[in-house]
Amino acid sequence: MGGDALTFKLFGLTFNTTNIVSGLIIYAIVFFTLYGMSRKIKMKPTGAQNVFEWLVDFTNGIVRSQMPAEEQGHYSFFAFVLFVFIFFANQFGLLFQFHWNGAEVLRSPTADPVVTLTFSLMVMTLAHFAGVAHNGLGGYLKNYAKPFTLMLPVNIIEDFANFLTLGLRIFGNIFAGELLMSLIANMAFSHGILTIIPGLLLELCWQGFSVFIGSIQAYVFVTLTTVYISRKISE
Amino acid sequence: MFVNSVLAESNSLYIGDLVFYIVTFIILMLLVKHFAWGPVTDMMKKRADKIASDIDNAAKSRENAEKMAAKRQAELQNSRQEAADIVSNAKKSAETQRAQIVEAAQNDAQSLKQQAQKDADQARRDALNGAKDDVANLSIEIASKLIQKELKADDQKALIDSYIEGLVDHES
Repeated sequence: MGGDALTFKLFGLTFNTTNIVSGLIIYAIVFFTLYGMSRKIKMKPTGAQNVFEWLVDFTNGIVRSQMPAEEQGHYSFFAFVLFVFIFFANQFGLLFQFHWNGAEVLRSPTADPVVTLTFSLMVMTLAHFAGVAHNGLGGYLKNYAKPFTLMLPVNIIEDFANFLTLGLRIFGNIFAGELLMSLIANMAFSHGILTIIPGLLLELCWQGFSVFIGSIQAYVFVTLTTVYISRKISE
Repeated sequence: MFVNSVLAESNSLYIGDLVFYIVTFIILMLLVKHFAWGPVTDMMKKRADKIASDIDNAAKSRENAEKMAAKRQAELQNSRQEAADIVSNAKKSAETQRAQIVEAAQNDAQSLKQQAQKDADQARRDALNGAKDDVANLSIEIASKLIQKELKADDQKALIDSYIEGLVDHES
């Protein structure tokens, strides 16, 4: 938000330093959180293991509500990691936003369309792959002509629309959240003590609301992921 | 061409991020699966199995307990019956034994009584016989002393015998 992105080039590809650094930190947070929660695994769960198992049940519940029972096992793990990662990525920008030399260094990676579309691409690739693997190439292609042949162009457009909306929905929500957060911060520091106190209160409210939005968006993303996959693997 | 010439100055499209996130996300999935997801879901599955088997076992042991209780009840009933039988048998045998003892005692008493009667008769008869002889001799002696002169024992014997005969008849 504001300022140019810090980029560097490697192997002929351009990388965004902000996304790389934030992404690595979030990967570390996600991994060590899950690692720490699953240390003392007991038959009678206590403490962190309960939280972990609740989380597993939660994402399993999302998958269960969309897919036939025999397919759930293949996607519940993907849904779990996806949910945890996107949840942490959404909240990350609420806690840390660093600017350095006029460019951002830390923020939510999900506030960047390239990153969200990357995940969207992963999901759609998985969905199409699962469709071919489950129905065969013929069945997969025939699915485009359902419920009748005239729907063929609509179905093709829908696939692209799904890909774009899945990525851009979460980007829009998180980007808007962070944008408004920096705007409130700018306003708070614009007129000294006169604006700091209302700015502080506003920021507090907006941060709380953003936590809610981030959680909802992670849930929506995973739900839509399972919906798209189950639609592709349906007969 | 457009992207390169326009965005190169400020921002170029950072496609590298796409590769970075796909690769790192796959690595994250592998790590989480190995270190966190695997053990926890294993344990959840084990727990589900254990609970299911526990429920089965509980039903089984309950059934066993019920069977055992029924068996105990039947055994108790049997032993009660047996006890009653034993008591009634004992009563019956005591009854017969009592009857036997009483009968035997009665028989004994009867035979004793008869024996005593017989003995008494015998003794009386012996005594009478003895007395008969004694009286005869005594009478003769007295008579001989009284009528030493003329009276002869032979003349008086018939009289004494008839007298004593009458005495015996009268006695019996």
